[in-house]
Amino acid sequence: MSEAHIGVARPRIDAPDKVTGATKFGADGYVHGLLHARLVLSTEAHARIRAIHGDDALSVPGVVAVLTAADLPTATTGTDRAAEPLAREEVVFAGQPVAMVVAETEAAAEDGAEVVMVELETLPPVVDLEDAMRPGSALARLVEKAEGGSDLESIHAGVDHGQEDAEQEQLSANVLDRVQRKNGDAAAALDASEVVVFGTFRTPWVYQAYLEPQVATTWLEPSGTLVVSTGTQGSFVSRKELARAFGLPLDRVRVVAEPLGGSFGGKLALIEPLAAGATLALRRPVRLVLTRGEDFLATNPASAQVTHLRVGARKDGTFTGIEARMLVDRGTNAGWGVEGITSSLLVGPYRWEAHDIVGYGIQTNRFTFGAYRAPGAPTAAFALESLLDELAEKLGIDPIEIRLRNAVVEGDIGISGNAYPTIGAVEVLERIREHPLWSARASLPENEGIGFAAGYWPGGNEPAAAICRVDTDGTMTVVTSSVDMSGVDTGFAVIAAAAFGLDPNKVRVVFADTATGPYSGASGGSKVTYTVGKAVEGAARAARVKVLAAASQELEIAPDDLEVVDGVVRAIGAPDRSITVEEIVGKALRYGGRYEPIEGHGGSAQTRGAPSVAAHLSHVRVDRDTGEVELLRHVIAQDVGRALNPALVEGQMRGGAAQGMGWALFERLDHDEDGRLLTGSFLDYAIPVAERVPEIDTLIVEVPAPDGPFGAKGIGEAPVVGAAPAISNAVAAATGVRIHELPMTPPRVWQALRQDSGPTETPA
Amino acid sequence: MIPAPVRYARATSLEHAFQLLAEPDSKILAGGQSLIPVMKLRIARPSLVVDISQLELRGIDVRGDELHVGALTTWDELLDARELERPALAAIGECVRGIGDLQVRNRGTVGGSLAHADPASDMPAVLLALGATLQLRSPEGERDLRVAEFFAGPFTTALSAQELITHIVVPLPAPGSGSAYVSVEHPASGFALAGAAALVGRDGVSRVAVTGVAGQPSLLVSGDPHEALEAAEIFGDRFASAEYRRELASVLVRRAVERAAERTKGDA
Repeated sequence: MSEAHIGVARPRIDAPDKVTGATKFGADGYVHGLLHARLVLSTEAHARIRAIHGDDALSVPGVVAVLTAADLPTATTGTDRAAEPLAREEVVFAGQPVAMVVAETEAAAEDGAEVVMVELETLPPVVDLEDAMRPGSALARLVEKAEGGSDLESIHAGVDHGQEDAEQEQLSANVLDRVQRKNGDAAAALDASEVVVFGTFRTPWVYQAYLEPQVATTWLEPSGTLVVSTGTQGSFVSRKELARAFGLPLDRVRVVAEPLGGSFGGKLALIEPLAAGATLALRRPVRLVLTRGEDFLATNPASAQVTHLRVGARKDGTFTGIEARMLVDRGTNAGWGVEGITSSLLVGPYRWEAHDIVGYGIQTNRFTFGAYRAPGAPTAAFALESLLDELAEKLGIDPIEIRLRNAVVEGDIGISGNAYPTIGAVEVLERIREHPLWSARASLPENEGIGFAAGYWPGGNEPAAAICRVDTDGTMTVVTSSVDMSGVDTGFAVIAAAAFGLDPNKVRVVFADTATGPYSGASGGSKVTYTVGKAVEGAARAARVKVLAAASQELEIAPDDLEVVDGVVRAIGAPDRSITVEEIVGKALRYGGRYEPIEGHGGSAQTRGAPSVAAHLSHVRVDRDTGEVELLRHVIAQDVGRALNPALVEGQMRGGAAQGMGWALFERLDHDEDGRLLTGSFLDYAIPVAERVPEIDTLIVEVPAPDGPFGAKGIGEAPVVGAAPAISNAVAAATGVRIHELPMTPPRVWQALRQDSGPTETPA
Repeated sequence: MIPAPVRYARATSLEHAFQLLAEPDSKILAGGQSLIPVMKLRIARPSLVVDISQLELRGIDVRGDELHVGALTTWDELLDARELERPALAAIGECVRGIGDLQVRNRGTVGGSLAHADPASDMPAVLLALGATLQLRSPEGERDLRVAEFFAGPFTTALSAQELITHIVVPLPAPGSGSAYVSVEHPASGFALAGAAALVGRDGVSRVAVTGVAGQPSLLVSGDPHEALEAAEIFGDRFASAEYRRELASVLVRRAVERAAERTKGDA
């Protein structure tokens, strides 16, 4: 096995096609007889559907059908978006699809959708999270429906769901879930602390803002198999959801995951059921491409959250107790919410003597909650890291030093009672402390500040399989059912090349569909490289065993005395005694050939997680008169296990940090009092565009993950987690004012500076 | 994102444009940077689009003591114009650089933007401060209108149905003048939460205008501009309160005047 290609920065395999427009995305493929669907969305946040009139739409030339819930052959009565693609009797958020116009052209579908008349009887909308959980509050959903059994939560993170609920609490039926995590006596630990700080932290709904809006194209094969070509993060997840929704056997649904134009957690079986429902109803191919406006209104952004947090420390900086109540807005998602994840991540990568954290998943009439890069982690880190900064300040201890004194190491017991696996918290904190920007903070001009924060993501596990096949030209094809996102193919290629003994340029990676590929879970939870990559490594090794066996016969040397280097099998210590892989495959893949095809199958089933810690420095300038926060420079240090391709790793670090800048300064999905979205376009919803993102220094820290391929681990989610609190801590350093609500827009910063005492606090 | 059914006609002359615009639900298309998006969102649904982009209403030149800008001049052409390279007109380039992105500046026209009359549009404040006049044409003939009399409210102007802007005329400020435009943009749209333009003469007398804070841009005529802002009716929304916008406008007025005054030193 040659590791020479590991750790070398190389261009992404998919880059040329993506840059030149050769990549076919979900909306690009041609299907004969294709119809186009356009949605009719609810204009009310909460209402009963009285009637839907499609006659005018049907009279538009080109319109084939106007479909409502009754027309879709759904097989379950659940309230999730797969089981109820179109609202059945009750509308539960503004933007919920209530009807679908299907036409011969996109224009006809749009003309038709415009004249569909929906009669709604308005019900009281539930939009205030804190009101929603009080006993006696209006309910966000009146019609009871049986749950369908979706298991989308498990895709994202390896966390348990807390302890059994011990305490009785009077709560509204809007509270769908209450998670309590408790160890020791947190209140007593806080009472005995020298310093205690507390705060209430608010974060809004945040949109994933992927470049490519959601898309699905569906058709029926002559055999009756439903084919779904879609931008999804998980083809097997989509298949399962579709089979459940329409009562189809798994083998009658074939999901083809097309290359993703961005996703960040938001693309999992959300719109496939709409297109599939139309195809099953009409027996025609149907494509649904959301417009940007529909994508804002009808998809599944990250939850708003309110976190009441109190933490304490001793004089020497040792963290004592942590107590919290975390209110998570699930919107209309009855299946799952992030209260489980966010409550488990609130403690950060730190040791606590005692904790008592309660998370609530609350339904409201806003959106359907969905995953967004490290779901629940940025919100938790914003609260925790802001207060840790205050603790450090009150104790007169350097903010990085105080975290180092409490940082977990392998073997420490985590919030679930399990020991931490290998974790690079100390290494990351020590590395970023050495960055010159940190020492520059003592000598800054007025109104500038440098802030620090850390964040981590536990990583995810899910068994996966892969196939490696070597062709007669000596090239290798790697087959997995992962999806084409964030350059995973380039990672797979270098893993396979190193495990087999090939030049990575001779490896091609194929993303298979659910009918043809080996199993792979959804691309989420930062687990693709860690789990599927491990399977690829195994498959390449298995193929290597085959080539060694054949070469052993050809060269008359025992396999153990052979090595494979850059496509040549040679005797260890006698490199002139060799045969090329190409030659061996040529002897195998032919009529009457002598050797088994040089192919390997590999699998993985890790049980140990591989958490990744990322720390940030942010340098800001605040305009006290206008409230504008300018980002001057950013530094991120992250433990990545092993950087298989540093260029891609740095890309993930920068991208995550940039998205965190969006959380910090720009992004907020805002509704009016009636629950109607006010920020449903990029004219209203700001994201961190290139001109607002400063130079980002990346510091790669490598603490190998024992179970990862060549020590690598999942790295996609950790970099977004701590960015926002680093920026808010920088604002505090610049102004002396702590802002506990995101995003820190100019009006909000201006307001906070004018009050000059920060937001009003109530104890947790 | 597909417009409602619409007919299209390209005007070959002003007279042809007037004939086409006789249709009640017709709409003028210049650079298309405002009209096309609202048509795609079906907020605007004209029956006929009259494309005037081929009319010869383009170009920048100095005639005597006036700067004449054709209504179809694009933002990018303004940025390239040598005629604007003087401290007294610096506000124009400063304003244009903050408009849209390169693609928008390549297509978007000054006249189209003024006629669209977005209350948060930047250029009206600059033209107000510079005391500009608009030349308008309709089947009834020509008329000149001061920019201060042109805007009638959000997306509303003094233009009659068949009337269009042909030129923007800016009187060249006295030697030794300086101008400036400063704004704080909405982070998503790039339109001004508040913007302030100032023209300062060698004698220190200034003319100040603001945009983004009310239904239309306005000249702060009477005395101290900060007092004028205190008395003005200011618009607020969930992103930025009226209180914030008022304070912001006041800060930006101060900065614009300071910067314009600084520039007076550079005008020979």
